[in-house]
Amino acid sequence: MVELVDVTKTYGEPGGAGAVNVLKGITLKIERGRSVVVIGPSGCGKSTLLNIIGGLDHPTSGRVLLDGKDLAGLEAGELARIRNRQIGFVFQLHHLLPQCTVLENVLIPTLAEGNSSSRGEVCARAEALLARVGLADRMSYRPGELSGGQRQRVAVARALINRPKLLLADEPTGSLDESTSQSIADLLAELNREEGLTLVVVTHSRELASRIGHVMELSGGHLNDRGQP
Amino acid sequence: MSLWRLAVRGVSFYWRTNLAVVLAVIVATGVLTGALAVGDSVRYTLRKTLEARLGRVQFAILPQGRFFRAALADDLEQQLGGTVAPVLQVVGIITNDDGSQRVNRVQVLGVTDKFYAVGSGESPDRRDVGEGVVLSEAVARRLGAVAGDEVVLRIEKPGLLPHEVPLASDKDRTVASRLKVQAIADDSMFGRFDLQANQTSALNVFVPLAWLGQQIEQPGRANMLLAAHLKNGITAPEARAAIQKVWRPADAGLELGRLPERNVLELRSRRVFIDEPIGAQALKAGTIPRGEGVPPLRLAGIWPAEGKQGQDVLAAAPGRATGVLTYFVNEVRLGDKTTPYSMVAALDSVPLGGGEIIINQWLADDLGAKVGDSVDLSYFVIGPQRRLQEEHSRLKVAGIVPMDDPVCDPKLMPAFPGLADVNNCRDWRPGIPIDLGKIRPKDEQYWQEHRGTPKAFVSLETGQQLWHNQYGSLTAVRYPWREGLAQQIEQRLMSTIDPALVGLFFQPIRARGMQASSQGTDFGELFLGLSMFLIAAAVILIGLLFVFGIESRSQQVGMLMAVGWPARRVRRLLLAEGGLVALCGTIIGVAVGLLYTRLMVYALATLWSGAVGGTGVYFHAKLPTLVSGGLGGLLAVLFAIWLTLRKQAIRPARVLMAGGLEEGPERQGQSVRGDVVRRFFKCPYGHTTNGLSGIGVAVVAFLGVAIILLVTPTSGGEAVAGAFFGAGALLLIGTLSLSRAMLRMAGGSARPMISLQGLGLRNTTRRSGRSVATIGVLACGVFLVVGVWVFRQGPVENPQTRESGTGGFALYGESSVSILHDLSTESGRKQLGLAGQSLDDVQAVQFRVHDGDDASCLNLNRAQQPRLLGVPADALTRREAFRFIDGVKGAGQEQGWGLLRIDDLGRGIVPAVGDERTIKWGLHKNIGDEIEYTDERGRPFRVRIVGMLASSVLQGSLIIAENEFITRFPSVDGYRVFLIDAPAERADAVTQKLSSGLRDYGLMLTPTQERLAEFSAVENTYL
Repeated sequence: MVELVDVTKTYGEPGGAGAVNVLKGITLKIERGRSVVVIGPSGCGKSTLLNIIGGLDHPTSGRVLLDGKDLAGLEAGELARIRNRQIGFVFQLHHLLPQCTVLENVLIPTLAEGNSSSRGEVCARAEALLARVGLADRMSYRPGELSGGQRQRVAVARALINRPKLLLADEPTGSLDESTSQSIADLLAELNREEGLTLVVVTHSRELASRIGHVMELSGGHLNDRGQP
Repeated sequence: MSLWRLAVRGVSFYWRTNLAVVLAVIVATGVLTGALAVGDSVRYTLRKTLEARLGRVQFAILPQGRFFRAALADDLEQQLGGTVAPVLQVVGIITNDDGSQRVNRVQVLGVTDKFYAVGSGESPDRRDVGEGVVLSEAVARRLGAVAGDEVVLRIEKPGLLPHEVPLASDKDRTVASRLKVQAIADDSMFGRFDLQANQTSALNVFVPLAWLGQQIEQPGRANMLLAAHLKNGITAPEARAAIQKVWRPADAGLELGRLPERNVLELRSRRVFIDEPIGAQALKAGTIPRGEGVPPLRLAGIWPAEGKQGQDVLAAAPGRATGVLTYFVNEVRLGDKTTPYSMVAALDSVPLGGGEIIINQWLADDLGAKVGDSVDLSYFVIGPQRRLQEEHSRLKVAGIVPMDDPVCDPKLMPAFPGLADVNNCRDWRPGIPIDLGKIRPKDEQYWQEHRGTPKAFVSLETGQQLWHNQYGSLTAVRYPWREGLAQQIEQRLMSTIDPALVGLFFQPIRARGMQASSQGTDFGELFLGLSMFLIAAAVILIGLLFVFGIESRSQQVGMLMAVGWPARRVRRLLLAEGGLVALCGTIIGVAVGLLYTRLMVYALATLWSGAVGGTGVYFHAKLPTLVSGGLGGLLAVLFAIWLTLRKQAIRPARVLMAGGLEEGPERQGQSVRGDVVRRFFKCPYGHTTNGLSGIGVAVVAFLGVAIILLVTPTSGGEAVAGAFFGAGALLLIGTLSLSRAMLRMAGGSARPMISLQGLGLRNTTRRSGRSVATIGVLACGVFLVVGVWVFRQGPVENPQTRESGTGGFALYGESSVSILHDLSTESGRKQLGLAGQSLDDVQAVQFRVHDGDDASCLNLNRAQQPRLLGVPADALTRREAFRFIDGVKGAGQEQGWGLLRIDDLGRGIVPAVGDERTIKWGLHKNIGDEIEYTDERGRPFRVRIVGMLASSVLQGSLIIAENEFITRFPSVDGYRVFLIDAPAERADAVTQKLSSGLRDYGLMLTPTQERLAEFSAVENTYL
């Protein structure tokens, strides 16, 4: 499903005096339906790695393959389309649109291409997803009227609206309290199991990692396998 | 859920931010729409004014100092198939009952009901009020008069001849009447009637045509015809041709009458002298083929001179007309014997040589003259500038004719005003300076017995050499009488003489008026030009406010991109939001624009009435104007939003989601073309340029400014205004580019800035685009303020100097009734009743006036034929008055006022000088351009602008040489515009003395500085 081949990422002029090598030859292969949690201290490059996997960032060298397709060679439009159709994102700060209702927020990714042919279908799916994350009674609420955990659940539903194969979550519980964090972690794990999603989660929380899946630790620019929880 | 719904959500959620944008859009659109609608309103006002002043009049015969039958109007109606109204127009002065309010130079119009028929159709309600006067609203307002009040109307009594002509009496030039105001005529009652293309209300006083004819001794006559409701498609030449078919000798001021005692038919002119072309045709008309039984013309038998005894002198011209020129001579002298004030007739039937004269027995006895003696004749002729000068001629007595000879015919004396109609010599008032003390009892007795019988006779050729003037060289033409001859002569004359020769020609008044109003001052452009920087500032502000709003939502943009929205679609969403905001602002802006227009119209009618000559402005906004104003504003705003959006959604999504507005080193998917454009203009990400491009743009802009300054002429006008705004815009672009470059360079400095100023500089340079936009907004405002300020006209500098706009003159004056005499000379002042007024130190430059359109800034119409002033160029050359800023190239040695003397411009082209405001703004002309006029005989001529003065008190008119003026408009008598030199400290006293002394002439004097200030006030009001 996802394969990284000798991926490096350097900030600054490579080889220059001020260059910072964040990723140093990462090679990783994640099979479909697997869940991987990348842990590591703050600033170690976890988010950079996740962005590279999600096509939000380019590696300095190496290849990123999604279903065998190298993301590095794609144009911006194609990359956006892949992000929209094949990848779901859950961010630490949910990034919901405050002007839209919960349901509308979930539908946002479906507007990326302006195709309105299956509006009814996607609305039904959005409602189902919201029910799935326990927010069936909050669909017409605005994000400002929700708790942090509820907002993150909306974000999860939004990430799933286009039936992605890959779900990327960047510190999804970073701004939540412990019990909410656990609830979100359980939801992600559940989705992985029940929906067959490939899940890559980045977190600094070992406890969260242990609730989700296979743990890998990024340290010194290298990714080390820490095995199953 | 759709993109539009999402956009609407965004607009409503971020309403506070958007409200600021909406307000800015309202300002931009409102100002734009308002400016255009003000233009609509002024154009509409000019059209309404045109309708108000012309009614339905299509063509008009204008007063040319002559009178024709009022019945000519009826005759023309038959030909033209419409309504033709006869009007008698003279100038007058009106005062209210107690004399406390006075209005000079009113148009006194003698009208019939037909006048109102060619107007709006409504006539003032004059039932139950009897005879009296109808005042236009403008006159009534100035007098404070209402219906029922009494007013005193002083009317100029036009002479048959210009009053300056020798023997044309200048006495009793005005007549005053006390009249009751019957009604006030507003615009709907043709109260605003005016043939000049001015939007200011004409000062009209309406009286019955018949009454006015009686007052000015022109009963049954008119001097103006107004034609309306004509058959479709009638052109001015066709209208002119119609006159030829119906006019009569009386319309040319001619009278044909039989003198039974002489058995001749005589043609005379009411103007004493027969116009030369008419005289020539009259002589031809009398050439009757021999063999038709026409008896030989025998005007009289002459007692022949020695050596010519028995010769039938009159038989020399059988079968043809005889021309007569009888003149008034001041003195006939032989040695020390003199005979004062005598008539001398020149006859073309008298076979005399050039230096010969026949005298009658009475004169021979009085002088003791005999055949062979030489007598000296003294007489006045019209000299340069129509000044009377006495000339002398010595002639040899070739014969003496007895008093009972038929040639001693008292009817040879034409009807000289002031002579022909009095019984005693003591009552002579011939209009020339005569010394009644010289008249002896025997002269009085001669007058009693023989009236104006000529005392001497010369050949017509001799007489015309001595006394020919521009009004004619014959006083009568005599034909041998036969039945039917009068009709034959009349028919020949009327078919061969062009009616235009006597001023009878229709002019396309409506077409000219429409042209004047359609080409009038475009207030839309004016307001738009001055509002452009305000609109630009508003648009920049919109861009700034919009980008602030968008950038505060950069995380949302990042999220949308992260979930797979293409950057273009994100921008489309933002553009949709901006478009909705702009649309709201535009709709409100158009409404605000209408309010703004109403406000401007109100201000133009009240506070700024000076800018529109005091006339009201009607509110009028056309739908296309509102649509184009709204669309223009919307497009400008969308362009500004598009410009700001170009920079959005081009940073990486992860950067945006991190809340990072910092320009990062990376970018995604930017086209090469876009890259080049961004690099050139904005460089939105990363300091990849070091400001060099900005410096480049600045250098190019500054070069543009330099080129504009070099190629733009120094004189004013639209070119200079355009250059000002063009150079200003380039300067703005240049300095903004330079500012941006400097900010970039300062921002790129790695040197620590650990101070308050340093921190401020860092803040300023962090987002140099915004800083530059802010600078731009302020710069636009400052530019506007400075622009307005520099164009404001201050008080005249050094008004006492000749080079200034005052010409160094203390006073500017205009009179209602023309003044015939020279205010600068003692004799002139004496003639005007100003003797002993301590005016010796007063000198005047006097201008003849041919009325025309006001080409000053007080007239919103585009003047088509501006007023012409005739002045002796020497009077201004001598003083070196006014400053010339431009003149024709290659004009030889002539410069300054000497340009008026250029005589090689070509046939029918008259050199003219005007001031800059008149030429550039009033006429939209330049040096070398020409304007076509028609002289009083219907002959077209062109006035070529050969010199341009700096802004002056002469604004509104074109100035030509006096001799050219007299050639074109011989019937215009006297002077009506005056520039007066007077010691500054005595200016008030001089004003008082002249105004008071010349009260009946309606002389209004204004300090020249004040007049200039009035013009400046209008321009300042525009600003």
